[in-house]
Amino acid sequence: MTLAAQQAEFMAHVLDEDRALPAGWTARHAAGFDIYRNNYRSSLVEAMRSTYERTAGYVGEDAFRQAAAHHLIGNPPNSWTLDRVGDGFPGTARELFTGDPEVAELAWLEAAMHEAFVAADTVPLDAQGFAAATSGFAEDDWSAIALRLTPGTMLHPVSHDIPALWQAIGADEDAQPLRLDAPGYLLVWREGLKPVFRLIDETEGLALSAMLGGAGYGEMCAMLVDRIGEEAAIAQAGALLGRWLHDGVIASINPPAATE
Amino acid sequence: MSSITPFDGFGLGLRRTHYADFLEGEVPVDFIEVISENFMVEGGNPLRVLTQVREKMPVILHGVSMSIGSAHGLDEDYLRRLKALADRIEPLWVSDHLCWTRTSAHNSHDLLPLPYTEEALEVVCANIMNAQDTLGRAMLFENPSSYLAFPEDEMREWEFIAEMARRTGCYLLLDVNNIYVSAHNHGFDAREYLRALPHDRVRQIHLAGHTDGPIKIDTHDQPVCDGVWQLYDEAMELVGPVATMIERDDGIPPLPELLAELGQARELAASARGRIAA
Repeated sequence: MTLAAQQAEFMAHVLDEDRALPAGWTARHAAGFDIYRNNYRSSLVEAMRSTYERTAGYVGEDAFRQAAAHHLIGNPPNSWTLDRVGDGFPGTARELFTGDPEVAELAWLEAAMHEAFVAADTVPLDAQGFAAATSGFAEDDWSAIALRLTPGTMLHPVSHDIPALWQAIGADEDAQPLRLDAPGYLLVWREGLKPVFRLIDETEGLALSAMLGGAGYGEMCAMLVDRIGEEAAIAQAGALLGRWLHDGVIASINPPAATE
Repeated sequence: MSSITPFDGFGLGLRRTHYADFLEGEVPVDFIEVISENFMVEGGNPLRVLTQVREKMPVILHGVSMSIGSAHGLDEDYLRRLKALADRIEPLWVSDHLCWTRTSAHNSHDLLPLPYTEEALEVVCANIMNAQDTLGRAMLFENPSSYLAFPEDEMREWEFIAEMARRTGCYLLLDVNNIYVSAHNHGFDAREYLRALPHDRVRQIHLAGHTDGPIKIDTHDQPVCDGVWQLYDEAMELVGPVATMIERDDGIPPLPELLAELGQARELAASARGRIAA
């Protein structure tokens, strides 16, 4: 057997606890192999426990560890970094905790906060920088610009007040899911070195979502006009831009393409 | 490939619980060692901490995910990121383990054992040459602790390691606890192992604790035991002045406790040096 085949077989045995050990292996081999199997399972569940600490606190340790082990069976890691071990766990949580949809939303927030924590460093554009960057713009230029958001900025639709849940779990208080009156979004970004989040309404969420998807400022304004009417859209677009500059989620402006 | 000059010093692993001690105070160590992968990130606080600590003292990058024994070769993205980190931090050296962690499809995130065969030796050596060429520097590789031996083995672990160093020009990170653990688990003589290694290739020693049982497990969650201290005493006489580090990854005690263990290593190393001089 080649080394490649031997390693593939060894890995298959690590991943599948029910798989019979290779012919010729003794009880001593089996005892040693059990240590590798146990290390694999326990270290990866522990890595997920570290990423999804609040989710574990919310659903309970036993339920979380069972869910994490279930996730790892269906999603064995393939990246060199432990940071990616829990990738996709919010989706698994959605399937496993069907009666508690807030669990998947909470898990998404934890994953996003971890990702933002080590996102690329950048100096966000502030109001002064934005004014300087747009000082020469003609009126038509505005519709053609695109806003590039800071690395680590992420957005996710939610139906529960996850910030309240987050705070209650962190304070070790009784955490009860509170359904939002209207759909909202969680916005995660990094403020300096610290990942932060806030709950935003659906209109702002759709606007930011369009920006993250590469839409220009003009397209975002058109979306607002469709949603809330022209007069309100003009005021809303300005207010949102001011808020994003204040939060520090805009990294730069892609200026309109030069015209001949 | 450039050579690595011996560094005569005593250090600790930088763990999150001690970040503030290293950033705000003067910790009496000669170097710190970090887990490379924890800092192979785009940005944020981990890189800020490492950069600030690096301004105070030398740093060693110690990896756990290179998978140098992987029959499928090395992960090029991993190598690129490690090179970027090494270029940024300018470490004393970059090290990893003699093991494999992944196949082409999956990553175990565990240090899995290699059969000691000619085929495995060729794979390991080719991968080391690739890693050293990409990084532009010679590396250190650590002897593993292991819980099973393969029926296919064609040579002893120390013979495999000696030949690996000879063929590739790499250096050795001698984990004395791993020798102690594997000697118990596989029934070989730890001193025979120590004496058979190419001592001139050793640049660093790891000291750690383990969990006892019918099969000893390398858990890094206990103080260094007496048997490992005795082996260290002998090792220092054989390899001369090289960097020594206390490695604790779990059940991490307050810093003074680790510094006391490091003090014990300093005393034994000084004693060994005295014996060499005599």
